[in-house]
Amino acid sequence: MMSEVVIENVTKKFGSVVALDHINLTIRPGEFFVLLGPSGSGKTTLLRIIAGLEDVTEGSIYINGKKVNDVPPKDRDVAMVFQNYALYPHFTVYDNIALPLKVRGLSKDSIAQRVKEIAVRLHIEDLLNKKPRQLSGGQQQRVALARALVRNPSIFLLDEPLSNLDAKLRVEARTFLKGLQRDLGVTTIYVTHDQSEAMALATRIAVLNKGVLKQVGDPYELYSRPGDIFTAGFIGSPAMNMIPGKIVKANGSWRFVASDFTLELNNMNFSSEREAIMGIRPEHIIISDDGIGCTISTVEPMGSVTYITVNVGGTSLTVQYTGLAKLEPNATIKIKFAMDKILFYDKGTGKLITE
Amino acid sequence: MKKIDVLLLALLIIFSIISLFPIYWIVITALKVNSEIFTTPPVFFPTKITLSNFYTPGERFGEVAQTAFGSFPWMINSAVVAVLSSLIGTFFIGAPAAYALTRYLKNVWLARTVLFMMMIPEAALVIPFYVMIMRMNLINTWWGLILVYLSFIAPLSTWLLMGFFSEIPRSVEEAASIDGLSAYKIFFRISLPMAMPGIIVSIIVNFINAWNEFLYALVLTYTPFPTGSQTVPLFLTDFIVIEKTFAWGGLAAAGVIVMIPSIIIGLYAQKYLVKGWTMGAVKE
Repeated sequence: MMSEVVIENVTKKFGSVVALDHINLTIRPGEFFVLLGPSGSGKTTLLRIIAGLEDVTEGSIYINGKKVNDVPPKDRDVAMVFQNYALYPHFTVYDNIALPLKVRGLSKDSIAQRVKEIAVRLHIEDLLNKKPRQLSGGQQQRVALARALVRNPSIFLLDEPLSNLDAKLRVEARTFLKGLQRDLGVTTIYVTHDQSEAMALATRIAVLNKGVLKQVGDPYELYSRPGDIFTAGFIGSPAMNMIPGKIVKANGSWRFVASDFTLELNNMNFSSEREAIMGIRPEHIIISDDGIGCTISTVEPMGSVTYITVNVGGTSLTVQYTGLAKLEPNATIKIKFAMDKILFYDKGTGKLITE
Repeated sequence: MKKIDVLLLALLIIFSIISLFPIYWIVITALKVNSEIFTTPPVFFPTKITLSNFYTPGERFGEVAQTAFGSFPWMINSAVVAVLSSLIGTFFIGAPAAYALTRYLKNVWLARTVLFMMMIPEAALVIPFYVMIMRMNLINTWWGLILVYLSFIAPLSTWLLMGFFSEIPRSVEEAASIDGLSAYKIFFRISLPMAMPGIIVSIIVNFINAWNEFLYALVLTYTPFPTGSQTVPLFLTDFIVIEKTFAWGGLAAAGVIVMIPSIIIGLYAQKYLVKGWTMGAVKE
């Protein structure tokens, strides 16, 4: 069953600390929704509130239109995978997966059948008689997924489920998880601090910072038009280049004055002159003979791309060059910005001001 | 081996000798002939071995009584009282109380009160307990002793198990609540089994404490099974003075007999004991 989750004006305080500040969100049926933010952003708290493991200080949670603030976790028809998997160490894998079904009073035969089905699907059918401590991290993670999915929950919650896996396994598990979610079509809410994981998995992403919802959007939107400085800096690796300066109007046209260069902003409009920050992604800086002169400080060849760090006066910028660039530090090159990709943020509010 | 390891090993050997020497001493005393028991300097390696001490009868109220092998009527009382009080104290009081104190009533003073209860000396409580047990008509009965023993078993068990319950990751219980278990089922099916090493430690430590207890048993009981509930520490007192002289040989022989059950249980349980004490020590 596909379920919708509505978070309405939710505030959570721990003592005097505000963990979540008036959050409003709608998670659509069948969506793979990612809550993304650095540690302390409140993303896990929000997930726990949806699960029913934490109370809200203010606001409401609705699942399929029904207010669930006072509904205990077991009656919300949600399933959750924890960061540390939280398997029952004294049960076998079979009993771990079967517990949610036993609690619901299913017959022994139908339990055996459902456990078998999900185990085959997650490739853990050979592990059913083992105890959790006999499994590798990747296997434990699959058991945790199986336990969560075996009873066809209407909402599937995952709290950084990949963070305890090593890098290679993490990428594999990510692909697997995305395919699994698409097959099952279950509404999924996924918490992570890893922006690349969020980008790879999500239908939509909500970016949180210090308990405040910064932006909600699909990965393309968030990457190409981050709504504020925080999101701009958090999404994308290497991070977006940020250049402080001033937007001024001269002779009827707008220009951006940074400490080391001035940029004519044709075809752009601003409401007023102001202090601003210019954002440009590394792949939107082009090496070109008619550009701004700068000095190379480091060259990082990654294989398919090369990251070149250059200094324009006192500002350090990362440039992404497609392919392998044979460049040496301290050499001089000229760069140009892809003008249609430049974003401007107000220095005071941090909000996007490019139209 | 590193220097620190050598030092540690040396310390452990010294500590083991200090701990084991009394056991060695009581065993050789039980096997010595009388002439070697009383010599100065003492004899550490007896030249003659005898079992006669085991056949020396003790004395009760000036009358000839049983030998060291006659401990059965006291043993059965000790076994019943120690087993029941350690099981009841652990399962019915210690575990639920510890769970509640670590999960629900996180009150530091309540937790400390449990600790303070262990600090009250037996001597301060023996008179009030005597009066209470007498009024309940439980003098010289199993239940009289069990009730009184719970006064030291319950706090120790609670304190010990709090460490174990606080080490169970919250997320496991949360997973169980999402999986559909009620709070009671989480306790019985998830938390209690996960704290099983602690439960075993609590049962064993309290069993040994109850087995060894002397003062309450002295005051609250006066005859062995089947007429009363006198326990083995009281059985030993029959061997202190026989025919107006100190009877170290007979006492040692009786001592050897009554420590056998404790030693068997201790050996069986040692792996849990090591794990248990270190685990319980981590958190308040």
